[in-house]
Amino acid sequence: MKSRIKIWHFILLLWLLIVIFRFDRIIDAAGFLFLSAQLIFTAPGFVFDQLDFSMVDFIVSVKLIFLLPFILYIFRKKAAIIFRSSNLSSSVVILLLFGFIFSPVISNTHPDFYKNIGMTRLLPPLSTVLILHLKEVATHTEGATGNFLKLKESLIKKPFDEKIIFIDSLIVADEVVYYQKGLPVKMSLTGIEMKNSLPLITKRMFILGTDEFGRDIFTRLMYGTRTSLSIGFLAVLISLLAGLILGYLAGYAGGVIDLILSRLTDMFLAFPVIFFVVLILALFGNNFISIVLVLGFSTWMSLFKIVKAEVLSVKTKDFFQTAKLIGLSKTRLLLREVLPVIMVPVIVNIVFQYGNVILAESALSYLGLGIGNELPSWGSMIESGQEYIYKAWWMIFFPGLILTGTLLAANSIGRNISKYFNPRLD
Amino acid sequence: MNKKIVRIFLRRVLSSAVVLFLLITFIFFLVRISPGDPSQRFISPAFSPQLAESVRQSFRLDEPLFNQYTVFIRNFAAGDLGISYNYRRPVLFVIGDFLPFTVTFALVSFALQLLISISLAYYTVKRKNSLTDKIVSGTMLAAYATPVFVAGVILIYIFSVQLNLFPSSGIAPIDVHTYGFFRKILAYAHHLFLPFIALSMVEVAILYKYLRDNLNDVFNKTFILNLRANGIKEKTILLRHVIPNAANPLISVTGIELGILFGGTLIVEVIFGLPGMGRLTIEAILTRDYPLVIGCTLIAGVLMIFSNLTADIVRAKIDKRVLIGALN
Repeated sequence: MKSRIKIWHFILLLWLLIVIFRFDRIIDAAGFLFLSAQLIFTAPGFVFDQLDFSMVDFIVSVKLIFLLPFILYIFRKKAAIIFRSSNLSSSVVILLLFGFIFSPVISNTHPDFYKNIGMTRLLPPLSTVLILHLKEVATHTEGATGNFLKLKESLIKKPFDEKIIFIDSLIVADEVVYYQKGLPVKMSLTGIEMKNSLPLITKRMFILGTDEFGRDIFTRLMYGTRTSLSIGFLAVLISLLAGLILGYLAGYAGGVIDLILSRLTDMFLAFPVIFFVVLILALFGNNFISIVLVLGFSTWMSLFKIVKAEVLSVKTKDFFQTAKLIGLSKTRLLLREVLPVIMVPVIVNIVFQYGNVILAESALSYLGLGIGNELPSWGSMIESGQEYIYKAWWMIFFPGLILTGTLLAANSIGRNISKYFNPRLD
Repeated sequence: MNKKIVRIFLRRVLSSAVVLFLLITFIFFLVRISPGDPSQRFISPAFSPQLAESVRQSFRLDEPLFNQYTVFIRNFAAGDLGISYNYRRPVLFVIGDFLPFTVTFALVSFALQLLISISLAYYTVKRKNSLTDKIVSGTMLAAYATPVFVAGVILIYIFSVQLNLFPSSGIAPIDVHTYGFFRKILAYAHHLFLPFIALSMVEVAILYKYLRDNLNDVFNKTFILNLRANGIKEKTILLRHVIPNAANPLISVTGIELGILFGGTLIVEVIFGLPGMGRLTIEAILTRDYPLVIGCTLIAGVLMIFSNLTADIVRAKIDKRVLIGALN
């Protein structure tokens, strides 16, 4: 049974959800964009001083939010895939891409934000907490630059925020008494942001609950998407290049090079790869770059074997011999004659490899050898959730779910591609 | 013919040995050029530098790299892998404590996995496109995609935390030595049930997929139709004709899978706190216990190559064409 929902319906639905739920944030962001465009002309030095990664990130994703419907409309002919009916794997891929691109817009906290740990730690999904706002100390100057800084502060979230307090309830009299876990805390009215002569109180909902430090799991999952997808992409790129070039060398040149490379592959295959990866990471330190390199260089063997076998068979074909006799260079032979032939198995292999690398990265994070604590990662979320398994099932359930969904999507897409190119299979 | 087979066999063993030797050499130099000093674990900065130096001397780490390597090779040729820094015992004895559990667990769970996947594949292939087939295939796909650590942690949550049916770690109760034989086996099975499930989900899914495709192919071949037309019993067809024909690609896969199992199922061992080779290896790596790292690598490599070789022999035994292909 094919569902009637096309892929572009799903994309637009997600887009609408973001726009509805983050409407005020997006309006503010539009103002922010306008203001910064103005300031680029009036005070360019000031804007460039303020520019950092999180700001660029935010601006890019806001612009993409505005442009998404137009992009879909303009590229509807080229990306005809969006008119296919959506299934589970395509939905998962779109969700992941949304998390990857739009996480600064969708989430309204920093992934590492925590405050009043006692109040917010290990909250179950869908629980709400009241927020008491403290009065802002006017530090910003008036005028365009002051507005700019103010907007930037409210839009681009930091891992800390001095102006809010998480509370259970409060009593207002001559002074404010607020309760945190049943303990009263007194505070004078002067320090508190007022609205209609009552303290300004807002609610904050943790959709998927919080972890042991009171950090929002939903936000961390979304930023974890970035970690996983980018590590997967870079590692697969490395393994693709290594496998392609070495396989072509071994298949084309043969002889000693082939012998050495084949022994090397045998050596890697004679030993469970995970131990090799752990060995390198434990001995030489683990960070983003080393993980990408190690995962990239430990997964090229299967690609090497495929490419080598294909090159060996292509080498005897007439078209290849002709191209060689015409005098094409080796690089052009690889790009123009060999690559189109081996495209299909290589693409299928890459898609499966992508799933494997994401899995390996989370497994490493689970073992404590991941990218460390600077970036949120699904594997390390599961690892830290294991300690609280008696109290907080949501800490492992949601990262586990999203990881499984990603791997499922990678697998079924890989199988669909190979089925598409080899219709005789099954 | 026989002579030729023996020669091929010996060549395989020899080339495997060369690969293993290269692997060990590679690991030997890799661990020694890496930053970090194993002697740091045994002394504190408060001690004198002379003491640190003497610890390094006792590990023979003060000598030039090449001298260390020649000493290592000489000892290795005599069957001595050195003394573990952590355990203060010969590496082979340390591994001897951990290997039996790993091998037993690997073999038992592997046999069960094969049994489960063969019966499932046979059951669904007979009922192609039925509801059961779809459910089983879908479940297998999901099982294949579930990472071991997610499965393990969720199993612990459901069966240990919520239902309190199975223990979440260890391999036996403390007083297991007082039990009788059957009770002992039951206690082990009780403790190893969850690790087995977590480990087997992926493996069963892999085996099932291969078997299902192959069985399907073979059942559609004309010679099966011919056998049926001749009135041969279904059971005989299955056992004598279908399975041997479908098994060929499967056996290579099982060889690799078994080899990986022998190397220690690192993540399952970590989740469930099992004393296996995987955890021993990781512990050795993390504490920079160089002789133990090399010993574990060697054992994992030997078992991997051994299981691949066995798979090839079994394959040649079942299908003579493989043997003839190897001979030519």
